[in-house]
Amino acid sequence: MSFVSRAVSAAAISLGAFTAAPSVSAAEPRNPECIAPAQPGGGFDITCKLAQASLQQSGAVKSQVRVSYMPGGIGAVAYNAVVGQRRAEPGTIVAFSAGSLLNLAQGKFGAYTEKDVRWVASIGADYGAVVVRNESEFKSLDGLMSAIKKDATSVIIGAGGTIGSQDWMKAAMAARAAGIDYKTMRFVAFEGGGDCATALQGGHVHVCMNDVGDSQAAIDGGAPLKLLAIFSEDRLPGKLAEVPTAKEQGFDIQWPIVRGFYVGPDVSDADYKWWADAFATTMQSPDYAAELQKRNLFPLPMTGEQTTAFVEERVAAYKKLAADFGLAVK
Amino acid sequence: MHTDRILGVAAIAVAAIMLAFGYGLEAPFAYEPTGPRAFPLIAAGMIALCGVILVWKPGEADPSVPPMPGRAIVALSGLLLAYALLFQPLGFVIATTVFMIPIAMIFGAKWWQGVLVGAVLSVSSFLLFDRVLDVVLPTGPLGGII
Amino acid sequence: MDTLSYLIHGFGIALAPTNLFLATIGAVVGTMVGVLPGLGPINAVAMLVPVVFALGLPPEGSLILMAAIYIGSEYGGRISAILLNVPGEASAVMTALEGYPLARQGKAGIALSLSAWTSFVGSAIATTGIVLAAPVLASWALAFGPVEYVALMVFAFACLTGLLTDQPVKALLAIMLGLGISTIGIDANSGVYRYTFGSPNLVDGVQFATVVIGLFAISELLIMLETMHAGASVRIQQLGRSLFNLSEMRFTNAATLRGSLIGFFVGILPGAGGTVASALAYTTEKRVVDKTDPEGSRFGKGDMRGLASVEAANNSASNSNFIPMLTLGIPSSGTTAIMLGVLTLYNLTPGPALFRSQPDLVWGLIASLFIGNFILLAINIPLVGVFARMLSVPAWVLVPFIVVVSAIGVYSGKSTTFDLVLMVGLGIGAYFLRRANVPMAPLILGLVLGKILEQSLRRALSLSAGDVAILWSSPISITLWAMASAVLLIPLLMPRFRRWREETMTETD
Repeated sequence: MSFVSRAVSAAAISLGAFTAAPSVSAAEPRNPECIAPAQPGGGFDITCKLAQASLQQSGAVKSQVRVSYMPGGIGAVAYNAVVGQRRAEPGTIVAFSAGSLLNLAQGKFGAYTEKDVRWVASIGADYGAVVVRNESEFKSLDGLMSAIKKDATSVIIGAGGTIGSQDWMKAAMAARAAGIDYKTMRFVAFEGGGDCATALQGGHVHVCMNDVGDSQAAIDGGAPLKLLAIFSEDRLPGKLAEVPTAKEQGFDIQWPIVRGFYVGPDVSDADYKWWADAFATTMQSPDYAAELQKRNLFPLPMTGEQTTAFVEERVAAYKKLAADFGLAVK
Repeated sequence: MHTDRILGVAAIAVAAIMLAFGYGLEAPFAYEPTGPRAFPLIAAGMIALCGVILVWKPGEADPSVPPMPGRAIVALSGLLLAYALLFQPLGFVIATTVFMIPIAMIFGAKWWQGVLVGAVLSVSSFLLFDRVLDVVLPTGPLGGII
Repeated sequence: MDTLSYLIHGFGIALAPTNLFLATIGAVVGTMVGVLPGLGPINAVAMLVPVVFALGLPPEGSLILMAAIYIGSEYGGRISAILLNVPGEASAVMTALEGYPLARQGKAGIALSLSAWTSFVGSAIATTGIVLAAPVLASWALAFGPVEYVALMVFAFACLTGLLTDQPVKALLAIMLGLGISTIGIDANSGVYRYTFGSPNLVDGVQFATVVIGLFAISELLIMLETMHAGASVRIQQLGRSLFNLSEMRFTNAATLRGSLIGFFVGILPGAGGTVASALAYTTEKRVVDKTDPEGSRFGKGDMRGLASVEAANNSASNSNFIPMLTLGIPSSGTTAIMLGVLTLYNLTPGPALFRSQPDLVWGLIASLFIGNFILLAINIPLVGVFARMLSVPAWVLVPFIVVVSAIGVYSGKSTTFDLVLMVGLGIGAYFLRRANVPMAPLILGLVLGKILEQSLRRALSLSAGDVAILWSSPISITLWAMASAVLLIPLLMPRFRRWREETMTETD
């Protein structure tokens, strides 16, 4: 699955290219607004708040970016609103995540495809992780996998989402890697990774397919949990450097969770470029790394056409995965 | 017809709709035996049962329920629906001013009192919520001005 | 340091002039937001996050401000429920059941002041509970897995039969309609879309705020119109005595205490919260009164004990909600989730270590909960007269005001025309249901409890790979099942038992 690494390295190269200060081509749109397509407090809210804080800090946007909420279907409601009624609002950016792209790929965004909006930027990423209790009998991913292989019903796998969601995909990919039918694994769907982590601490499930960011935050807070493996290409920086990737433990599973923004289809080229440049300027400002870290995100900077190419590649990959796992792709 | 009988028939109709759209609910595969269909169908069944009981043995008519002022109710419902539909396209300030005048008048305001309520309410709540509390409200055609 | 010295230290922080000021501001803003239908603590706290950052407050300060707003809005939610029969908050739905009839009898002042007092008692008991037992109780929250939630919900449904007295078929119909609404949207266990009719607007189900505002606020406006046309006065004419007296306090003391305890334990459980707590408290109180004082029961027609227990319970629950947040880093409601998000922005990671690593923050917050409650009581009792002015506002001002605030409340949560139309549609539907004497409170409870019951049941069965025996596999679940059967069977068996006893008594005579 080298498309991820290609995208990341391409992003790194272009980040270097940004050092030639991009010229701001259009005037700043009036009333800049960031739509978080979820309830307040979730991942999309964090994405919008990150943009709000860092765009202003870097000076790329002069007026305050305001956050509004439009929950529904990991972005489906917002996508339909922007493609349907709010096609040409230059000041409106909408947050998206890998979860949105996965639903988009499965046809859950209605009649619309990834070609229907203009992808502006990717501003950070999280990664999938395998989480167990501290005193768990599973010491490594290999141990977990051989237990599943021996008796698929002996391990209760929890996840923060239902069948077809990101967390289920991670579990299904793990099952496939262990060589068992994903339909025979013991799988329990919770509403959000936090609920799964709670059930894990209470001893109701054995392992959670969660994300690195939330899990590490819980562990930092003293929750008696540990990460068995991270679904990234290479080891992550900082204290996460101790946690091995799934790949180096012999299971080639990768699950980056990109977070970024799009604008409506009829937003002018000039305004589109203005946003892309604003994000480019912001992401190379010195404070940006700290802002990312505060929110438990890792760098994955991309702007403009590069984002579009990345999104298209991911959607195609998700479509294939969905088909592999026998999910109805409308 | 007796109110309870009408309620019963309506309940049976709701249950029928729930059954029609709920019967085909099936997961391609599931990890538990209940499935997505059980609860909607249980609810539909119980609603239908309540409906049948209401049609079969309606309770005593409640004399304390006042007669329905049909035209006023239709007018208020219509205004509320129109307000909901035009809230976004017209923008908060215009929609609120336009629709609160007749709503105030239904509740006994003179026309100038209605205008006062509409104007004051729309502008003050826009300033309070949109500007002070940062709740993004639709601006509509006034988008370039406010 | 032991708990007491930590707490004294916490009071030192909470009583610092800035923090005291923030708690007061939060209490006032919270009360105001709580009064407005549709705008709940979650909106208020979410709106404030950017403001807090703009002010550059330290973490203790911003957490104190948000906590004060949160508990303040629980106080405020009761006011419009009592005076207008429009609950400002989902957890105030049960408040209207007894509060509004009391107000109509000219006891609005007593209802307002008494409920402020019991809110205070509930909060104070819960806060004391946090101080004494938070770490121990954290494990109680963890012990609640899917299996225990199933048993708890069955128990709650069993308690709801207490509401089925007047016209049982209609209350049952309401519960089932609520259950039906709860199944709309993506099924969290199988990923199947249910009753979405191809619209993305229904994928996540019907937003709770939309349902509550539609069912209560919008339908109430239509009822007001009907009352006006019938020539009756639309609202309550006189306020009555504005403070409850000692005998009324003594009359409700036991109810307040029971409500506080129920609220405390339910509030600890993530996801259950004030709505479930107030429903359990109300039905419990009704049972107790039916048994101990059947002649004096005025439930449904304005019983102060019902009002007292409900208000004690939902405020107690909103305080004990902080236990999983502070001790485990688990958000137990949308509002605490936002507060947790704020902590992470200060580079603080919520979790078991927080008590050790950030004693200033944790104990400052706990102390400020105490202080915030005193402030709320102090501003709510004298303000009874001011709130009562709401009654002298003419209908042609009040109605547009309710419409506008309801629309803003719904719009702030979902920003779509669809939800506004849904709000009005539900309101019109609810108006006809209410005309046919279908009660609305059971519908809301069916909606809240039904969802937790279904999803927990199916989660429990996927844990056990389909084996139903898992449902009574833990001590907690067995206890709850036993309690549920007791609640269902005792009213059935009691008359027989009494008859049997009377017969044996007469024999011995």
